[in-house]
Amino acid sequence: MNATLLEAFLARIYVDERARASFLVDPRGEAIRAGLSPEEADSLVKIDRVGLELMARSLDQKRRRNRPAPRPSRRKGRTSL
Amino acid sequence: MTAKADSFGIGWRPELAGGILANLDRIDVVEVIADDFFDAPGSHRRALRTLAAQVPLVLHGVTLGLASAVPVETKRLEQTARLFDDVRPRYWSEHLAFVRGGGVEIGHLAAPPRTDATVEGAEANLERARRVVGVPPLVENVATLIDPPGSDRDEAEWIDEILRRSNCDLLLDLHNLFANATNFGFDPLDFLRRIPIGGVAAIHLAGGKWVGAGGERRLLDDHLHDVPDPVYQLLTEVGARAHRPLTVILERDGCYPSMECLLVQLERARAALREGRKRHTARGEEAA
Repeated sequence: MNATLLEAFLARIYVDERARASFLVDPRGEAIRAGLSPEEADSLVKIDRVGLELMARSLDQKRRRNRPAPRPSRRKGRTSL
Repeated sequence: MTAKADSFGIGWRPELAGGILANLDRIDVVEVIADDFFDAPGSHRRALRTLAAQVPLVLHGVTLGLASAVPVETKRLEQTARLFDDVRPRYWSEHLAFVRGGGVEIGHLAAPPRTDATVEGAEANLERARRVVGVPPLVENVATLIDPPGSDRDEAEWIDEILRRSNCDLLLDLHNLFANATNFGFDPLDFLRRIPIGGVAAIHLAGGKWVGAGGERRLLDDHLHDVPDPVYQLLTEVGARAHRPLTVILERDGCYPSMECLLVQLERARAALREGRKRHTARGEEAA
């Protein structure tokens, strides 16, 4: 078991659409290729696919919301008091 | 610095600044996002100190990633420590989440696999946090849309282990609890029975919305909606079980309603907790 690798793998499939698509086609193979153990790979085969899709969508929407405006904005930052 | 009585407040957001400052007679405490001030100009730090002189503050972190097998970054802890020393808040808090891995920033608070590795990682990270900042954080349960892959225990067991091993207190986010219970089919009252309820020191309240995929729907904790009724009911349940004073914070991150609407939600929270306190007292009197 390598918890650090597992967290890195999860971060990638949560954020990277191409990595997620490859994973969903071959979860076990992608996990093994990323260096995860057979037990970890098996657990990822059983991943909550609905949750993965919803989480990825939510992250994507959050990134879009937080993306800086294309032109300089007069809006103050979150820190302004 | 601990509160002697239950106190109720709101998360500081620039959009709410005027409303908060105009209503400090109805707001006992203000929660500030710590990370927003790590690299802030001196003028913003001075403004924060001015705010701290007017109302008790609590600091809330969002980027440490404490519940991880990866050691928390020293630089972020040192920034937290400097801000803590600068503002002297009532407490500081962070999430039991991982936020990055393998160089990838998730941009969100993700629930890690609930395993021995993340219990031990959280314990080590919380010890480092305590050492660098000088005070341990309250740790917060997070909402998740995905059942954390690779887990070998449920959320209540995982949080209970971390709290017991780290000796940290809990910032119990009741909307996160409600959302996870709704999405993954467990009883939130059973969760309250299984965690060390005496360790709950603070409460978060928020709202969310339903999202769907593959014919299923789940509750997203988005902080963009009003606090739903079941969350107030959970606050009453906590009041009936926990005896120490609680700091209750209403979180709102957008789609801002009027300040009066937020203050009404704060009043509902006061009433809900008061109701639980009465039940707690009545139970104590019965037992005596």
